Amino acid sequence: MIETRNLVKSVDTSEGLLTILKGITLKVNEGEIVAIVGASGSGKSTLLGLMAGLDGATSGDVLLDDNNLTEMDEEQRAMLRGQLVGFVFQSFQLLPSLTALENVMLPIELKGDDQARDKAKQLLQRVGLEERWHHYPNQLSGGEQQRVAIARAFATQAQILFADEPTGNLDTATGKKVIELLFELNREFSTTLVLVTHDERLAQRCNRVIKLVAGEIAEDTTNTVEESVSA
Amino acid sequence: MPEAALNSLNKPSAMSSNLFTVALRLLWRDWNGGELRLLFIALVMAVTSVTGIALFTDRLEKALLLESANMLAADRIVSGRGELPEEILVEGQTRGLRTAQTLSFTSMAFSDSSNMLVAAKAVSDAYPLRGEVIITEAAFTRGRPILSGPPPGEVWLEARALPALEIEVGDTVFVGEAELLVSEIIITEPDRTGGSMMDNAGPRLMLNMADVPATNVVQLGSRVSYRYLFASDELSELDDFEQWFRAQEEWRGRFYIRDVRDESQEVADALDRAESFLLLGSLFAVILAGVAIALTAKRYSERHYDYVAILKTLGCTSSQITFIYLTVQLVLAFFAVVAGWVLGWLVQLGILRLLESIMLVELPEPGLQPYVIGALTAVICLLAFALPPLLALRETPPLRVLRKDMSQQKISDKVPYAFGILGTISLVYWYSQDLVLTSVLVSSVAGIALFLSIVSYLFLRSGGSAGMKAGNAWKLAMTAARRRRSQNVLQVMVFSVTIMSLLILTLLRTDLIDEWQAQLPEDTPNHFMMNITRNQIGEIENFFANNGIQGNAFYPLISARVTRVNGDEPNPEGNLGDDEQNTLTENANLDDVELSEAAQAAAGEPDTGAAGEGEEGRRVRGGLSRRQVTWADKVPPDNGITAGEWWGEKPQAGYVSIEQDYAEWLDLELGDRLEFEINQQTVYAEVSNFRSVRWDNMQPNFFIIFSPGTIDHLGGTYLSTALMEQEQKMLLNDLIRLVPTMVVIEIDALIEQIQTIIAQVTSAIELISVLVLVCGALVLLSCVNASLDERFHENAILRTLGAGQKLIMTSLLIEFATIGFIAGLIATIGAEASLYYLQQEVFQQDFSFHYWVWPLGPLLGMLIIAGLGILSTRGVVQISPLNVLRRLT
Ligand SMILES: Nc1ncnc2c1ncn2[C@@H]1O[C@H](COP(=O)(O)OP(=O)(O)OP(=O)(O)O)[C@@H](O)[C@H]1O
Ligand SMILES: [Mg+2]
Repeated sequence: MIETRNLVKSVDTSEGLLTILKGITLKVNEGEIVAIVGASGSGKSTLLGLMAGLDGATSGDVLLDDNNLTEMDEEQRAMLRGQLVGFVFQSFQLLPSLTALENVMLPIELKGDDQARDKAKQLLQRVGLEERWHHYPNQLSGGEQQRVAIARAFATQAQILFADEPTGNLDTATGKKVIELLFELNREFSTTLVLVTHDERLAQRCNRVIKLVAGEIAEDTTNTVEESVSA
Repeated sequence: MPEAALNSLNKPSAMSSNLFTVALRLLWRDWNGGELRLLFIALVMAVTSVTGIALFTDRLEKALLLESANMLAADRIVSGRGELPEEILVEGQTRGLRTAQTLSFTSMAFSDSSNMLVAAKAVSDAYPLRGEVIITEAAFTRGRPILSGPPPGEVWLEARALPALEIEVGDTVFVGEAELLVSEIIITEPDRTGGSMMDNAGPRLMLNMADVPATNVVQLGSRVSYRYLFASDELSELDDFEQWFRAQEEWRGRFYIRDVRDESQEVADALDRAESFLLLGSLFAVILAGVAIALTAKRYSERHYDYVAILKTLGCTSSQITFIYLTVQLVLAFFAVVAGWVLGWLVQLGILRLLESIMLVELPEPGLQPYVIGALTAVICLLAFALPPLLALRETPPLRVLRKDMSQQKISDKVPYAFGILGTISLVYWYSQDLVLTSVLVSSVAGIALFLSIVSYLFLRSGGSAGMKAGNAWKLAMTAARRRRSQNVLQVMVFSVTIMSLLILTLLRTDLIDEWQAQLPEDTPNHFMMNITRNQIGEIENFFANNGIQGNAFYPLISARVTRVNGDEPNPEGNLGDDEQNTLTENANLDDVELSEAAQAAAGEPDTGAAGEGEEGRRVRGGLSRRQVTWADKVPPDNGITAGEWWGEKPQAGYVSIEQDYAEWLDLELGDRLEFEINQQTVYAEVSNFRSVRWDNMQPNFFIIFSPGTIDHLGGTYLSTALMEQEQKMLLNDLIRLVPTMVVIEIDALIEQIQTIIAQVTSAIELISVLVLVCGALVLLSCVNASLDERFHENAILRTLGAGQKLIMTSLLIEFATIGFIAGLIATIGAEASLYYLQQEVFQQDFSFHYWVWPLGPLLGMLIIAGLGILSTRGVVQISPLNVLRRLT
């Protein structure tokens, strides 16, 4: 489903070339739930961005569902994102000028689907925000905003979902609820889920935990506790 | 966040003492981050354009005055019929003015073998007070300047007189009874164009005043033009003197004082209009720079809400924040003012360099005032535009650290605009000191604002939220435009004001230059020939044909007076302006009339301004004075029929065509029966049409034209014009020998001088337009930039959701193009409306619709805004979305 081969990412900084990722090779299977963990600055967000095609790698390949991202131009990558990929960010990234409903409608509209409104409404209902559909992001709490973001991520029935510290900005209880929601929907739509987290307990509930240290894979462990996901 | 700045805030003790350092660090950080650059550039631009334009106008005005003073060889001249009272000269001297005298008369000059009519001019030793005489030893060689006339016993002769008199330099000539040595050839004198008619009725012969008694040609009653010349470097002395002169009742109508502006209406008009244009240009520059400052300052402060919130959580009080940001602004303003001064000075220098070739005089040093104006502009702009949002920063609640929606709502969004509008209006008024100009500008801007509010209300009325409609680019763009409605209305407003300013200036510029060029085209005839009999016409035409000179129509000329209108005494209403004004045609009898006036009159110009006072005395009270009239079978060129009909192919006698202002002045109607007195005979004619006349074209123009056959039998002489290039001047000798009774008035030097000044003024106008154009571009750029953050964010998210580059770029393009189109359309409407007022009230021009602008304005707006928009937002799709999101979170 997702495959990276010897992925390298470096950036130019004022102090010289900084290599953030130093050759990452990994494979994520369909339906897997993978947690990426590691110290702050170890390159987790960067790796996630590359796998999602939000940024170009310096060298190496990324294959999403057998499509080689490095061989595609931005236009094609955008198309692929629209069809295949959903996102949930730590800082929600809702459009402040759109209502909750419109935020969810957005990716559906981008696909040219004219049922956008109905589908978005159903999803909002699914995340428990059907009463708040006409509210703007700044009228919603953090947890509510993240639920809208999750609804938006599932709106196109993406096959792969990327989440960068989805609970990072939320309190423990709210975070827990959001995660439950995420896993629930994930099961429902049988998506592949890659999430970055600092939360050990959350990581343990995933099929697989990849630990990054200074831009390299230090550990790649598969959890045997299969039922923890479904629990 | 600026780590350093925050660190120093962590220690409370350091905070108060280091507040200034914090401010400077903040400034430095923002500078490096590029956020301050646009604001700074806008400020510098404001100071530069205002200082530069003010400096330039200051110096140009002084220079043009100086140069045109050369046209008089003095700052003021007193002239009149007959001898001038000595006490005028004495009074001038006791007031500390420099003085000189000239005396002009026509006389025969005799050599051993020949003779010719010359325009003699005797000058006192102090002549010329301004400018220089150019002389040479051999004909047609490069001359050398000299600051005096000939010494006693010598004369200087114009080159073409030498062969005519069959003499050379070193020989002697007789002027009257005095035998004088021809010591130099005179090429020009500063007031050549400003002399009396006699000065131009033959080649120049200049002699010393001391030799005049010996000639014995100047006797009581002989036709002599006396002039006193005055000059001083103290303007006030001159003004005082002029006032004293004007207070002498008994001289009114006999002696006249004049300065440069009286000398040539064309030059005075050109100067006045150029000044208005420069003023208008700098006003636009100020407004545009102000808008740019407002936009960048607003964006700057919006970006600083978070920073202020953090400062507050760290214990910074509101007054400390005000202090910090005020310091930032003042330091910024300081550097901007200094940079603006330097640049403004350079701009002005550049303008002067460009004009160097045509600007003959040394430019006087500018005063300090332009710098003060420049600095004040910056400060007022900052206060009006930048301070309100910065004050709003002060009110930012610390909670904003946690929740972005906690913004600066305490100070209403409208406050900055109110400040800005008030600031601009006062700046414009203070700068122009002109209520008409201010109100035109203010009302056109206000008109646009109102119009826009209505349009945007209608356009966006659907209300609520429009969503994204991301399905296709067109819908995406439209909903984006709708979602950002208030921002977009502001943008359209700024764009249209900017485009409008540019349109107004461009159109005005084009119209002014067109008019000037139409007024005195390259091939304007520069010689007037008068006192020609009917029999001589053929001879003259042959002469022209044989020598390749471009001649023109011959107009019969006869003096006439309106004695009755429909049997009643004529009853003129008010002031014709020129009412009984002399035209060249009026003065065909070579009366003592100033040439410039005569040339205008040749132009027949109804004098509405400067020379008016001089005319007063010549008004014949209790009846209309005589006019030189003509008859013609065709409408003269540059004339237009405004009512009635011109006599057709087979004209009948007994009709007359009247110039429209003259007709209005006499309250005439078509079909009125006029009685004229011509050569002691009574003639009747019916008014068959009214005519418009182009008075400033330096061509023969007439108030009254009869139909052929009406007055032909009453005699009269003929008048014509010709274009003689410099190298054809020698032919004048032959022509005058051929037709000795003819009088030739040479206005070539005058026309050339006017053309030169107009060329200078034209380049100045072009330069100002360019400067304002740059200001405009800056505004457009900062306006586009002002909405950049939001667009970046929106589009980055859109891209994570799978929107392609093409979709985003197309939708941005459509959004910008739509905004540009609307702005262009509104700008066109606003520009035409403002132009209507400006041309009528300020520039005294006729307004006519500029049809080509109507499609062009919107198109241009569309292209410019779309181009600029795409240029500055192309990064939206080029930066990877990850970077955008990283930057914004
Ligand atoms: N565009 C960039 N320019 C400079 N440095 C960058 C850039 N992108 C990432 N980095 C650096 O690369 C390193 C890894 O960044 P990344 O955001 O992937 O870390 P992370 O593992 O997600 O950390 P955190 O857990 O704190 O979110 C960091 O040190 C970061 O400063
Ligand atoms: Mg991260």
